[in-house]
Amino acid sequence: MIPRETLSAYLDDALSDVETAQVEQALRQNETLRRQLRGLLQDRDRGEHSVGAVWRRQRLSCPNREQLGSYLLGVLEPAQQDYIEFHLRTIGCAFCQANMADLQAQQQETAPQAQQRRKRVFDSSAGLLKSKK
Amino acid sequence: MDLCQFAPNAKQKAPFPLGFRAILIYTRSMSTDSDRLLVQQIRQSDARAWEHLIARYEGRLFAFVHRRIKDLAACEDIVQESFIGFFTSLPNYDDGRELQTYLFTIASHKITDYLRRNGRHPLQQASDGPNDLLHLKLDDQPAASSVARSHERQALESDAVARALGNLLDGWRAQGDLERIKVLELLLVKGWANKDVAKFLRISEQQVANIRFAAVKKVSEHVRDAGLSPDVFPELQE
Repeated sequence: MIPRETLSAYLDDALSDVETAQVEQALRQNETLRRQLRGLLQDRDRGEHSVGAVWRRQRLSCPNREQLGSYLLGVLEPAQQDYIEFHLRTIGCAFCQANMADLQAQQQETAPQAQQRRKRVFDSSAGLLKSKK
Repeated sequence: MDLCQFAPNAKQKAPFPLGFRAILIYTRSMSTDSDRLLVQQIRQSDARAWEHLIARYEGRLFAFVHRRIKDLAACEDIVQESFIGFFTSLPNYDDGRELQTYLFTIASHKITDYLRRNGRHPLQQASDGPNDLLHLKLDDQPAASSVARSHERQALESDAVARALGNLLDGWRAQGDLERIKVLELLLVKGWANKDVAKFLRISEQQVANIRFAAVKKVSEHVRDAGLSPDVFPELQE
């Protein structure tokens, strides 16, 4: 059974890729779940929102990037190391997972590829700054 | 205070004489000030600042988008659109908002747009067919004033809840009680039942219920003190 809050997180695009795939597969197969999703959308239209959604959107318990870096190096106190592991794996925070993936990529040989990508983003957008002047 | 001892690239366990809380407060403040300065410079059309912003956030945005969109070229396009979207929104961007979260939100919207264009949007997954009301809802354009009022109200409610929860979590962190944070996060963010949280964390259901009750009470009180009703939040009605 997929909890309502998981459906809400799915609509907020806040699930890990594994959970997203699970929800999408379940939606394709289960009319009851699709009905639940429609109900959730209607609730949102009426102005209802959840404490869980606020927590997710405002990232109230997300470690910052420096802490994630320290976690990667294994230099945090055990309780904090354990909490971040929980936040990444059990909560499956998509934002923190993205930060972790980026930190890990920086440590690998994908750095030149990333630099080229960033240069393309800059080259495609630098003109905006000039036109603003 | 020797700030170097909090360097995240330390290869050995650094001493933490002030504990986790000091690190949390220090590093969050530094990140926010640095971002704020970058945004100010970008507003003055500083190309180097724009380049720094891209260098700082492109990687994590790319990873975030790639989680949903496996096509690498499409990922790059979405990330580019996200940065352009941010730049375009600059006149309305509130420097008080955390920049990273704001960028992730923009990227989320761009992912949604991409999925819609490719027929893979969650609403389309839930639709029973092209004439389904839900499908039509994608193009519904409510009156601007009613949308504005509704969003404004929701923003006030969200801020009140976020402040209350933030204070609660900060208090627990200061006490080193990360287990309580886990309980509440599983209950509210994942929507798990008390019994499942208790089983996972190997504590009693009563302990879980007590933590939930205390948190709901605190958040509800804060929302009411702000002159708002907690009734719009299903979790606060239990």
